[in-house]
Amino acid sequence: MTDDNVPAGLSEQLDALRASAPERIVQAESLDSLSSVEAETLGRRSVLSELRRGLGEIAMEQRRAAGMAVQAVESELRDILEKRRHVLASAAEQQHLDAEWVDVTLPGRIPERGALHLVEETMNEIVDIFTSIGYAVAKGPEAETEFYNFTALNIPYTHPARFETDTLYLDYGQSKEEILLRTHTSPMQARYMEEHPPPVYVVVPGRVFRRDQLDPTHSPVFHQVEGLAVDEGITLADLKGTLAYFAREIFGSTTKVRFQPDYFPFTEPSAQMHAYAFGGWIELLGCGMVHPAVFEHVGYDPDKVTGFAFGMGADRVAMVRHGITDLRHLFDPDVRVLRQFR
Amino acid sequence: MKLTLNWLRDFVEIAEKPQAVADAFNSLGFAVEQMIPLVPNFRDVTIGKVAKVVAHPDADRLRICQVDVSSEVLQIVCGAWNFEVGSLVPVAVPGAVIGGDLEIGRRRIRGATSNGMICSESELGIGEYSDGIMVLNDDYPAAEDLLGANFSSLLEYPDTFFDLEVNPNRPDAMSVRGLARELSAYFAIPLRELDISLEKTSSEMGLCVKIEDPQGCPRFVGREVRDLKIKPSPHWIRFRLENAGIRPINNVVDASNYVMLEMGHPTHAFDADRVGAALTIRRAKEEEQILLLDGSKRDLTASDIVVADGDKSIAIAGVMGGTDTEVTANTTRVLLEAAYWHPPSILLTSKRLGLRSEASARFERGVDPNFCNLAADRVAQLLVEHAGGSVGSSIDVYPSRISPREVALPLSEVSRILGVQVSGVEISHFLESLGFAISGEDPLLIQVPTRRPDVTRSVDLIEEIGRLYGFENIPERIATGPGGGLETSGKRRRKLRYLLAGAGLHETLNFSFIGSADLDALDLPSSDSRRDGVRIINPLREEEGVMRTTLLPGLLKAVAINQARQLGSVGLFEIGTVFISGSGELPEQPEYLAFALAGDRDGDFSRNSREVDVRDATGLWELIADDMRLPNVEQREVTRRPFHPGRAAELEVNKDVIGVVGEIHPSVARRFGITGRVVAGELNLAPLTAPRDTWTFTAPSPYPPAVFDLAFELDTSSPVSALLTAARVAAGEILESVNVFDVFIGPPLNRDMKSVAIRVTLRSPERTLTEQEAADVRRSIAAAVETRTGGALRGEL
Repeated sequence: MTDDNVPAGLSEQLDALRASAPERIVQAESLDSLSSVEAETLGRRSVLSELRRGLGEIAMEQRRAAGMAVQAVESELRDILEKRRHVLASAAEQQHLDAEWVDVTLPGRIPERGALHLVEETMNEIVDIFTSIGYAVAKGPEAETEFYNFTALNIPYTHPARFETDTLYLDYGQSKEEILLRTHTSPMQARYMEEHPPPVYVVVPGRVFRRDQLDPTHSPVFHQVEGLAVDEGITLADLKGTLAYFAREIFGSTTKVRFQPDYFPFTEPSAQMHAYAFGGWIELLGCGMVHPAVFEHVGYDPDKVTGFAFGMGADRVAMVRHGITDLRHLFDPDVRVLRQFR
Repeated sequence: MKLTLNWLRDFVEIAEKPQAVADAFNSLGFAVEQMIPLVPNFRDVTIGKVAKVVAHPDADRLRICQVDVSSEVLQIVCGAWNFEVGSLVPVAVPGAVIGGDLEIGRRRIRGATSNGMICSESELGIGEYSDGIMVLNDDYPAAEDLLGANFSSLLEYPDTFFDLEVNPNRPDAMSVRGLARELSAYFAIPLRELDISLEKTSSEMGLCVKIEDPQGCPRFVGREVRDLKIKPSPHWIRFRLENAGIRPINNVVDASNYVMLEMGHPTHAFDADRVGAALTIRRAKEEEQILLLDGSKRDLTASDIVVADGDKSIAIAGVMGGTDTEVTANTTRVLLEAAYWHPPSILLTSKRLGLRSEASARFERGVDPNFCNLAADRVAQLLVEHAGGSVGSSIDVYPSRISPREVALPLSEVSRILGVQVSGVEISHFLESLGFAISGEDPLLIQVPTRRPDVTRSVDLIEEIGRLYGFENIPERIATGPGGGLETSGKRRRKLRYLLAGAGLHETLNFSFIGSADLDALDLPSSDSRRDGVRIINPLREEEGVMRTTLLPGLLKAVAINQARQLGSVGLFEIGTVFISGSGELPEQPEYLAFALAGDRDGDFSRNSREVDVRDATGLWELIADDMRLPNVEQREVTRRPFHPGRAAELEVNKDVIGVVGEIHPSVARRFGITGRVVAGELNLAPLTAPRDTWTFTAPSPYPPAVFDLAFELDTSSPVSALLTAARVAAGEILESVNVFDVFIGPPLNRDMKSVAIRVTLRSPERTLTEQEAADVRRSIAAAVETRTGGALRGEL
């Protein structure tokens, strides 16, 4: 690229530079040496700078062309230089990254974390299914009066459940009533209805007690969720539909249920609901239409309202769902047990 | 209730397959716990008749018999002597199989050919008698017409065994007849009643029965049977009893048991010759004793009903007879008792004495008072037929007859409860098929048989209608509520649990019981209110005799259990109820939150772990306070068992003390079997989960902060919290944060002195702070700390 207007000397010098400088740039093997080459070829003391400074001495009519020629060479060289810089920088970065290699299959740093207890979480899950269809949540006392635990639930004075062989009684002298550890969450049926006029739609999760030795299927302490729906026009059909809905929610949408007549003093008719899940029929809960005597105890008019009630063992639901065959695991503080509840 | 399908067929002609019968029972509310097909343990055993018996020429103890099995006459060598010519016997002909897999062939016995084998009960697996072969003539009269037929057809094979759960409100269904009635209603097949008629004899029994306690014994029927010969029952009775799980004893006891299972009404047989002429039914006297059939001597109380002969009790009513009047091998005359006892009294007595029997189970639920005479007659009938007995006279003391109850059933009630329309015709049909008598139209007037104590009001009848209509035929409808859901405190309780799990703690559930040894292990002083736990009157174990007043023993034991299993680094928490004696009707039952941590923390292969220390406990508290946005939080040093005296903090929310966190006293930890340090906390839950006002957002300041450090020298015992409070107050509104970044003890500081370094960050929401402003704050912090805590600024201001 020779312009006739460029003085021949200058042109030769530029050509020489064009011939020699690129090789030196490309030969730079590090960013540092590239900086030195940059200073030598494009810096203030470089030949190119000298030529630029000499432009003022060139005749006016050639000066513009000369300036453009110098500028062209400078751009050309700077281009080559930047490309080389990019190559060297990438290589340097790659080298740095290679040096930082670690084995990513090493165990990660897991923040210390715990787990929530399966029984509590199961109760929450059961409760949530009912709150999602408009039920309230209540809790009742674990130390309860004999009245609420038995009498208000139409359980006769001679019923075997009242015996000291079956129920744990408390030595609580200041009370006129016998005080006991509630044997089910059902006392809250009476307490809740006493406090709230109908309609009532409520579930009651909680801890209950029986005088049973601890073994794979019994525990003196276990957990229930009680449910109660009282309104005008509640029928056995509502009981069936609501509890079938519950079973599908907790065990999966294809879960089948069946209802078989059963007996509880505080419901009439009474039933046992079985659910077909995990390859077999499971006794899931006891239920029934609230006995008119229970309504009479709490001052509801059994000719106006009807209702259904149910109660289920949360421990049992948890065991069935997770293949736990020994109830005692649920009260074992062994962290190998608790960790599995994540 | 255990029974067989063929026994049910005495009362109802069921053609359905066993599975259909099981489905019917389940649908009716008698849960089938077991259904087992009963098949013989033998094959090709034939009914034969002994035609000739001669002695074996070469064996004194054997005889050679010719046995007619209709198609041929077989020569069989037999070692039994309890039969003669004309005896009908089960014959295992050559090719037959007995005992499951033993094939019978022809063989020679002492030189004589034996073509098969005459079998005993035990060889056939259908009874316990092995002394002789089975002779069918008396026990199975039908055998005569079945010569050459398969023996299993005599035994009702094939059959099906059922074990059914009968709910306690249905004493009437604790019987073959009662369950047959249910099936008859379900399948719409008529119920067939047995003919219980006795030849009356005019002989006087000469017995006088006086009921002193008509509440305890509304009805007492006595019937005499004479001329008895005590021996084993016929095979079919023993076979049915055994298949129903009852061991045969002798013909008298078996007849009583048989009728109990068949009709649901227990009876008792006294040896009439050992009973006097006058019986009294009364409550037992204090300090009265009786020697029972099971050999035990029992103390009676005034709540027990007894049958007394003169002054002496000879039976505990409905529970067990006495040994003095027991039927023995020599008995020839019995007095059969069929009574109706006050159900709760029987329950109390049998439960108190620990004597629950098939009989007491029926009496305590309530048998049919109007069936007593028929029950006694039925037993007498069996004794006449199978024990050689003849019927004596009877006595029936029934001072005030119990009549069927009448219950009104408005038809609209049925759909109001069941949610389905059932016609009046259908309703009447269902109830009549169960034996209820009906009159009227709407309401229907229902006469309830006295065998059904469970039916007292209309809803009980609706249950019967529902059972026969079939719960499976009732439609489904979801009953949704008006809303309500979880209260705020319930939601915050969940949030708190997630927070603690996220902070590394595992939730655990302990029993609600502790023992006084646990409180001793906590080293609680005798004045500590946690020692005033509510006692359990009838605990399962003494170690579980008190309701917990604190969650800490449970958690400390849990830590120890994990340590013992080499799982030493644990963090646990529990939320649970504690029980505190108060002045109300019930103990106070607040929920507490407690946690415990032990072992090493923060360890990794790349960094050293450290043992837990008290700051893990205080840190958890600070996390809770911060995350749950607790108002006006304070913490201060406290000395309280079971915590380390110098490493525990009392916690305050809104001026109320709500708990303590700290390190557990080393001697307490040791007593629980814990090695190393364990830190813990116990807090009242309600203040943590109480609803909080909605919080208000603060936009972050876009201006740069002014940051500076200050170090103070102060007494080692001087609380850092005071220093921080002083700094916060002095810095005022532009304070963004103040943090401790170093605490130092040792030279060059004097003994008893420490250096605490804090980093203060100031930032204005409105502008960049000037150096002068920062310097002013720095100066006022230094001055405030010195005034409030005596801490001297280290280095230049």
